[in-house]
Amino acid sequence: MAVIKIKDLIYNYTDTRKPSLDKINLEIPEGQFVLVVGGSGSGKSSLLRAIAGLIPDFYGGSYGGAVYLDNINLRQLDRRNIVNRVGMVFQDPESQLVMSSVEQEIVFGMENLGLPNHLMKRRLMEVTSALGLSNHLNIFIPELSGGQKQKVALASVLAMQPEILILDEPTSQLDPVASEEILSIVKRLNEENGITVILVEQRLERCFHLADRILVMDKGQIVLDQNAPETVANWALKNNSPFVPPLAKLFASVQYPEIPTTVKQGREILKPYYQLCKSSAGFLSAPNKKVEIMEINKDQPMVEIKNLWFTYANGKEVLKNISIQLKPGDFTIIMGGNGAGKTTLIKNINGLLKPGRGVVQFQGKDTKKLSVEELAPDVAYLAQDPNDYLFLPTVREELAFTLTNLNLADNGISQETLARLKMSSFEEVNPRDLSTGERQRVALASVLVTRPKLLLLDEPTRGLDYQLKQELGNLLVQLQAEGTTIMVITHDVEFAAEYATNIIFMAEGSIIACGHKNDMLSNSTFYSPQINKLFNNIVDGVVTFDQGKEALNKLIKLNENIAISV
Amino acid sequence: MLIYREKDNLIHKLHPFTILAFIGVVLMLTLVLSHPVYLLGLFVAVGIVIIAADNYKEWKVYLKYCSALIVLIIIFNAIFSRVGETVLYKSPRLPLLGEIRITLEALAFGAGMGVRLLIIISVFCLYTYAIHPDKVLKLFNKGGSRSVLIIILATRLFPLLMKDFYRITEVQRCRGVKLDTGTRWKRIRNLLPVISVLLQSCLERSLQLAESMYARGYGSGDRSYYNRELWRPRDYLILVGMSMCLVIGVFSTLIGWSNYNYYPRLSGITGREIVITSIMTLTLMIPAILNWGWNKWPLLRSRI
Repeated sequence: MAVIKIKDLIYNYTDTRKPSLDKINLEIPEGQFVLVVGGSGSGKSSLLRAIAGLIPDFYGGSYGGAVYLDNINLRQLDRRNIVNRVGMVFQDPESQLVMSSVEQEIVFGMENLGLPNHLMKRRLMEVTSALGLSNHLNIFIPELSGGQKQKVALASVLAMQPEILILDEPTSQLDPVASEEILSIVKRLNEENGITVILVEQRLERCFHLADRILVMDKGQIVLDQNAPETVANWALKNNSPFVPPLAKLFASVQYPEIPTTVKQGREILKPYYQLCKSSAGFLSAPNKKVEIMEINKDQPMVEIKNLWFTYANGKEVLKNISIQLKPGDFTIIMGGNGAGKTTLIKNINGLLKPGRGVVQFQGKDTKKLSVEELAPDVAYLAQDPNDYLFLPTVREELAFTLTNLNLADNGISQETLARLKMSSFEEVNPRDLSTGERQRVALASVLVTRPKLLLLDEPTRGLDYQLKQELGNLLVQLQAEGTTIMVITHDVEFAAEYATNIIFMAEGSIIACGHKNDMLSNSTFYSPQINKLFNNIVDGVVTFDQGKEALNKLIKLNENIAISV
Repeated sequence: MLIYREKDNLIHKLHPFTILAFIGVVLMLTLVLSHPVYLLGLFVAVGIVIIAADNYKEWKVYLKYCSALIVLIIIFNAIFSRVGETVLYKSPRLPLLGEIRITLEALAFGAGMGVRLLIIISVFCLYTYAIHPDKVLKLFNKGGSRSVLIIILATRLFPLLMKDFYRITEVQRCRGVKLDTGTRWKRIRNLLPVISVLLQSCLERSLQLAESMYARGYGSGDRSYYNRELWRPRDYLILVGMSMCLVIGVFSTLIGWSNYNYYPRLSGITGREIVITSIMTLTLMIPAILNWGWNKWPLLRSRI
């Protein structure tokens, strides 16, 4: 097993002046599970690539210092030697699979290493059994789900039997169930096989507790290197860093001496308080942060859907008898498993699809009689991948493109939108040179320039870190306050809990439940935020961070009062 | 897009070399034999093998389009061919075309060509639906050639590209790009943003793919070749049958038994041609016969 040692590592990509890695010194003993966190552009991915030898071998650029594997400088090892010992899984499953069948993909790496046929057969058998892929060997890769594709990518790397497994946001493109599965496989590999794991992840609530060690990166440097989650949580709170899971942040925010990383640990801490609030009615004074929506006519619904049914040309019935009403200033989130019909519903609202039966009305007008282009000035749609929007040389031109297409005058709206999204300084930059979060903001700006009355977003939090998610959430709440109706599809329960007003649950093309988030996100096994799970059966209706903080503060005070009176 | 679907029958479970050899032998015989009885025999054999492979549904579509083409070939040949002695119809003089004589020989020649075309198209249908493209490529890729990898990559990425194209089209329509209305020129011009996004995204994706391949050691030295295809008695039986068929076919061609004269009058058909065609058809039908036994008798299934 290999020990990684990094000494004074400095690295600049060819086209940048700012160092992506700035004097990194690090030692990772064998078998450790290291979690690397940090904002976009903090150098996390560069650090992983340096350990995998991709920097500078694949990327070029200027490189200083050294990375050692078992005291041998990586630069002195040939590619095959490095690949044999360090395996890397990337973010997007679509962009790392090469072959057309699962079996061929898994053996791809082994063939590259020139392994004999009998050994490849054995390893293929082992790795597919371990990852539950044995029955998928002959399947055509485009037919797999995102989670299965990522498992194939992981299997292909594991078949090479690396001593160090590096994962760069492996779950950012996956739904929660698939993400959970990938992370538990990684943990099992670390615990049962002793493989060193270096993981970059954004959703810390899923993996904070898995790690033996946490590295926080900023501007190419390691700003914190800690083993204890509580130290990290306290540090994050002190430095106003968003890179800490909600539970840890909650307990650190009330200066509680113990910091839990899982709901189980949190509930263990709250056990002594169980008896204090058996009747929690009226326990929370301000259960919800109310968004003050400006004076608008709320009588006429923005969107009214009556008995909507939709069947695709291939005969698949995807929407079944949907009826909902969205009023100006509503912030609704649609949740549900893959294939529940969420995206189809949104496309029926913005006119990309036309109802089979039933009616979809936008401001009282039947969308069946309106084209997408006619609806576009009022109905903005932000799809999952911001890259689908960007093709012009500058951010400014991207915004102007939408306005020109829709025959709308600028009148300063472009500047205003960019300023609101904190993108004014990027006006003349090529959007393709920006980071994921920034690209998303450009795409959002390109649809917001029309001053839409209805904003539809499909999985906007995918791949965003805590900070970017927070900024997006705040922006949406601001737009809501101005009277914009917002509808978001997301798997992100924490985001839904913090920012939405109403939640709609969909399954198999039907609406299963809908209502205020406090009712919808409480006491659910899967669709509850961590904070709600923490207070389940202790204090009712706690969904947001502020509510959690208030509840926790009150519990602590109650306990202190009782202690004093006794 | 991959349209191959593995089905539970013997033909789909043959060694890729066996099925490729079958296709090769049929193609070669189709090109060298010209006697219509021989060609009909080949067609029957290929048809039965396709039906045995449970690909009749897909074959039907090929047949439909091919039949239309054959009718056209027959009509054109009948109208423009001026040889042949058995006149079935004679038209009055027409401008440009002159007098049209439709002869039995010209019709028969067109039909003979049509059968040849039918066999070729059917063989391609078998190639498309009964053999995994990766397996064919792997068969020729023992040295790990780059061009083969490119073909595999293209097979894998094409569906992805189509999906991207539809998605980007939708996104751009929501930004007011008109792709459904306006003149054809305008619509084509309006596709530019879609193509531009598609190209840029492809470029980014190809870089990520290259990185992933590099990280898995592609190009780090000599590659090995993964092979799990097994030879079974069924493969040997079929290969022996096909070799017999090939020898008979080539022999018949060399000594002139498979020649046929359509013009000026159709030659007759002798018993010799019928016997030879029957033997060839039977030897080519071995995959279908084995498949029938494979389904009927579990004991045979375990033996072959």
